[in-house]
Amino acid sequence: MSGGEILSTLLASEVRGDLLILFHKNPGLIDTVDGIARRIGRTTISVISDVRELLQLGLLKQKRIGASEVLFLDRAKDREILESVANHLKTVQIGGSK
Amino acid sequence: MMSMATRAREPSSTNPGGNFWPAQKSSGNSNSAPEEAFSSLLTGIVCDALSNALGRYVLDILASKGLLDDSDNPKEFDRELQSLFGNGASVLERIVVKDLYRKLSIPYDSDARFDYEKSLATAKEVCFVESRLK
Repeated sequence: MSGGEILSTLLASEVRGDLLILFHKNPGLIDTVDGIARRIGRTTISVISDVRELLQLGLLKQKRIGASEVLFLDRAKDREILESVANHLKTVQIGGSK
Repeated sequence: MMSMATRAREPSSTNPGGNFWPAQKSSGNSNSAPEEAFSSLLTGIVCDALSNALGRYVLDILASKGLLDDSDNPKEFDRELQSLFGNGASVLERIVVKDLYRKLSIPYDSDARFDYEKSLATAKEVCFVESRLK
């Protein structure tokens, strides 16, 4: 996936933007989907598809703790993703094409 | 309550050095103190939004491209964000407005139609009223 495609995936919706901010501000956060939704002031059903996209991208990971499935930020993958976005943005000119 | 001007100049937790904030536009122009305070507040919030969403390194790159120079000019900023992020620009603008509204205690409705310029105009008005009341 190119840096541009990653960027489009990251900023595809307001919910995804909220999730990015939440996990970047709290990189050690581990919580259920319900908990994550509550933290950004939304319902589980309204965040589930965006969570799935971020899981697919590899930015978030999921694991089972006891009876609960929890989500957390994969910090190494996050660094890799943001670096790829940064390298893409380096090549884009403000107000014009590459 | 802390004055708006003081609060606006506080560096954010994610931008402790405040290196990306453009120089104050006080010399040689007619900007009033509330306008400058609002401009500083907005620039700080834009820095926070970009840094929290996409990381410090991305903020660095965008700052070096001059994106932050126009952060208090909604039309120009919107145009520049669109050229860099396409549809993602509106997500970043919503993050900025949400944070700005939270700081100014303005209710934010995610479901309402979004207009960055109008949202900033509302925030600016509230900021000015607040400063007049102090």
